[in-house]
Amino acid sequence: MRVAVAGKGGVGKSTVAGTLARLRARAGEQVLALDSDPMPGLALSLGVEAPDAPLAAAVVRGENGRWSLRPGIGPVRAVQRYAVVGPDGVRLLQAAKVPSTGGNPVPGAAQGFREVSRRIGGAPAFRGWTLIGDLSAGPRQSAYDWAEYAETIVVLAEPTWQSALTARRILRIARLRATDAVLVATKVRSPADAERVGELVGEPVFATLPADAEIAQADREGTAPIDHAPAGAVVQAISELGERLASRR
Amino acid sequence: MKIAVAGKGGVGKTTLAGTLARAFARDGRDVLALDADTNPMLGVSLGVGAERTDLLVAVRQALDDGEVEHQTTGEGLVDVFGTDAPDGVRLVVCTRIERPNPG
Repeated sequence: MRVAVAGKGGVGKSTVAGTLARLRARAGEQVLALDSDPMPGLALSLGVEAPDAPLAAAVVRGENGRWSLRPGIGPVRAVQRYAVVGPDGVRLLQAAKVPSTGGNPVPGAAQGFREVSRRIGGAPAFRGWTLIGDLSAGPRQSAYDWAEYAETIVVLAEPTWQSALTARRILRIARLRATDAVLVATKVRSPADAERVGELVGEPVFATLPADAEIAQADREGTAPIDHAPAGAVVQAISELGERLASRR
Repeated sequence: MKIAVAGKGGVGKTTLAGTLARAFARDGRDVLALDADTNPMLGVSLGVGAERTDLLVAVRQALDDGEVEHQTTGEGLVDVFGTDAPDGVRLVVCTRIERPNPG
């Protein structure tokens, strides 16, 4: 399975990406989670600590001023050397976080990540791997194609206008690129909520994830949802979403 | 007074910015609301309407598409690209991402 999760801020992208990664790893798949969001998120949902800008050491600046991966470093070595291994054996590669001390992310790290994300889809060593991406909020990274490896873009929307309009924009961009994309309704409290998401976005809902107080609690505590409530409704629903995505191809 | 609202997605930036703008306008101030998000939603919380917010023309795209002549002053930009929101708030959307970038 190769997917990237997108949507408005706060809809549950990291929760879905992190939990899906853990579940697929538990089922025996080799999983690489790719976090391109400059804000914290996926590491917490996976339950792993990761350096802010791991690829800073893997890039060089060319004469034209552009950063690229150092000679001899491709997706395989980047993942071997700079990804961290989390619970259930999930590997996590981060782009570049805005440092907690302020200022800009370490220069070059994000460009290095971008290069990995471009090349990893075609890398024979990753054939058979499950790749799960967590994109930054909004349509930017979909428009600029930060998830070339993804066979399907999973677009999340909760029953609010703002998240629905965002989902529309992302779905439109994905289709203009001829990339497969599905709409997933999140924080759903009733069947009417799921229908509402479909109406607001203007297309059928592929899957539904329930509102779950356990997730809010996990967020407050900074623990991975799958560790906080392993048998919870959302974890169960993400598991089913994973099955459906896996059989989509 | 010039303020900007920031924070992680979903924490309430747009709600706070839009509601502050309306409240200040009701107090009699001239208010300019600038939506600088590449996923602009400020119109929703200002009360412009969700569907209409989705259709608002962003300054950057209109200029790129050559639909309008460039304005050389701030007043001109607000005048040509602004939208009237309730309570007399003037809303300007700076840019938006709505299609794949080939580059």
